[in-house]
Amino acid sequence: MAAISLRKLNKHYGSLFHAVKDVDLEIADKEFVALVGPSGCGKSTTLRMIAGLEDITSGDIRIGDRIVNDLPPRDRDIAMVFQNYALYQHMSVYDNLAFGLRNKKTSEAEIKAAIDRAAGMLGLHELLARKPKQLSGGQQQRVALGRCIVRNPEVFLFDEPLSNLDAKLRAQMRIEIKRLHAAIPTTSVFVTHDQVEAMTLGDRVVIMRDGRVQQVGTPLQVYGKPANKFVAGFIGAPAMNFVTATVRSDGGATTVEAAGLKLSVGDAEARALGAYNGKSVIMGARPEHLALGEGASGLGFDARVEVVEQLGSEILLETRVGSHGITVARVPAETVIARGDQVRISAQPGRLHFFDPDTELPITG
Amino acid sequence: MFGEQQRFMLFLIAPAALLMLLFQVLPIMIGANASFRNWALYNPKKTWVGLEHYYAVLSDPAFLYVVLPNTFLFMILSVAGALVAGLALALLLNRPFRGQKLVQTILLVPLMVAPVVAAIMIRWIFNDQFGIVNVVLEAIGLEGQPWLVQRWSAFGIILLTDIWLWTPWFTLLLLAGLQSLPKEPFEAAAIDGTTTWRVFRYLTLPMLRSVIVVCVVIRAIDAFRTFDIVWTLTGGGPGRSTELFSLYAYVHAFLNLDLGRGSAAAIIGGLIILVIGVALYRLVDRIAKA
Ligand SMILES: Nc1ncnc2c1ncn2[C@@H]1O[C@H](COP(=O)(O)OP(=O)(O)OP(=O)(O)O)[C@@H](O)[C@H]1O
Ligand SMILES: [Mg+2]
Repeated sequence: MAAISLRKLNKHYGSLFHAVKDVDLEIADKEFVALVGPSGCGKSTTLRMIAGLEDITSGDIRIGDRIVNDLPPRDRDIAMVFQNYALYQHMSVYDNLAFGLRNKKTSEAEIKAAIDRAAGMLGLHELLARKPKQLSGGQQQRVALGRCIVRNPEVFLFDEPLSNLDAKLRAQMRIEIKRLHAAIPTTSVFVTHDQVEAMTLGDRVVIMRDGRVQQVGTPLQVYGKPANKFVAGFIGAPAMNFVTATVRSDGGATTVEAAGLKLSVGDAEARALGAYNGKSVIMGARPEHLALGEGASGLGFDARVEVVEQLGSEILLETRVGSHGITVARVPAETVIARGDQVRISAQPGRLHFFDPDTELPITG
Repeated sequence: MFGEQQRFMLFLIAPAALLMLLFQVLPIMIGANASFRNWALYNPKKTWVGLEHYYAVLSDPAFLYVVLPNTFLFMILSVAGALVAGLALALLLNRPFRGQKLVQTILLVPLMVAPVVAAIMIRWIFNDQFGIVNVVLEAIGLEGQPWLVQRWSAFGIILLTDIWLWTPWFTLLLLAGLQSLPKEPFEAAAIDGTTTWRVFRYLTLPMLRSVIVVCVVIRAIDAFRTFDIVWTLTGGGPGRSTELFSLYAYVHAFLNLDLGRGSAAAIIGGLIILVIGVALYRLVDRIAKA
């Protein structure tokens, strides 16, 4: 049983740099939480504070029913996977896996059993006699995973474990980690800057920026109801389109207008935008919620195609509307279209997001 | 014969090459030549005597039973002592603490002291009548010793002086080695609950191995040639009991004025260093590849 709880966690490096700011986070027992954010936002620092590799400046970290603020890493019953594997280079894979258990003076027979089980799960049996140098990146990372599994800890911590692997291997390892978590459910914190990894792996996703938590939620929540413009732009690929538009409301109909664009919004949105009549807002539309052709009435606009990205399964279009670049995804791959074409694009009703230009918070009714 | 570029390169290396020729290659040739001739400075007949000098050196009991054992013992103990002390200090300095920079600077002092100066200092410290060591011993009611005129205490003092002089060198290089090691394996080990001793034994030492071996090779070859501190501290005495190989060659060539005999000794020493050096380099290579 190990829930993790972070309360008002802060980290200063030196007197000037405030790397982690008032982070509050409750992670349930056996939950898999993905910590995601742009480079330098404090993800690793947060994870390393949970591991005990970094002192905390203020706040509390609780693992299970203990406050672990001042416990050294070895007493926290955690295991960690590092980006560059951090294997013991001069030991065989077997000895790497056994090292942590030997520290605890576990009997060799028990060690062998534990390694057998882990090796079976991760397909490491043929590699046990090799040195890490003789393994590929993916194999090394599997050994690193194995080293954590054999210790059977309360908490798994991952710091970008897949980012040194190529795209295909990364996808494979993602599935492997997911399978592993299903087989041995253990509280896990997974740091990544790749939002796809975060969304696919996490029961919940934590989005950080500049040392602050922006939003905590299930993948569907953070995708569907982003807590601010940053989250909206960060989650989802290709990224959400943003257009600065002006709200016009005359009696019945409410529209948002920008150069080359005039969309009428639904009732719920109109209510939310009521207070912004005549003011400008930031409108967000996900590329996958735009389509070619005339859709629902009042939601279409004209655009000029600037770049056509043929992916085989679909086409990504970069278009221009007035001064704004608009990306459209999921265009059927067979569509005949070329740079310079004029196209009609329509937004799906009810899928538009609006943000206050000053606070960048969503505008809701 | 040479292109413009080659001529320019030759021109650039010429001064260095000339110096090496004049002050290294030429003396070695002259010395090698002398070692085969009857070349006593007071009576330089320079007649060819073949391997006679080599035979004399190799059948000299003083060389075989005192000088050679002394030299090897000194080399091994000095290198081992400075390595252990240097490694210990490097490990201490590798973790941040208040005043670390100051300690680091103080540790460098022995490196800046000329060996002869250090040896004179130590000689006075251990002087049997005026030395501070005996004064202190007598003050606390113990008996002072004639430190430098007993074989093993003299040898020990020579060793300690050399270790003192060379420990900072090991410390510096090993500290640089330690600081270049990747952090993550150590963090992984900390999370794995590894004791300090096991971290040292299974992580630090193996990862530092190649640096250690290179240091040992360089220092061992150098220690084999040690002259100055022994000459200053004991002059090889009492008797010839602390004589090292380089003193032996020096005494024969410049005190007994037998250049032939001294050169033969020097060349024998050179060959021994060559063999040791090649063997040690093989070892480095093997370890680097392991
Ligand atoms: N030891 C340190 N001393 C000073 N500043 C540091 C230190 N470690 C990290 N930082 C700073 O703290 C901030 C957060 O670093 P952190 O490593 O947590 O980022 P991250 O979110 O993991 O980024 P990345 O995705 O690039 O790994 C960064 O701006 C970094 O420069
Ligand atoms: Mg990081």
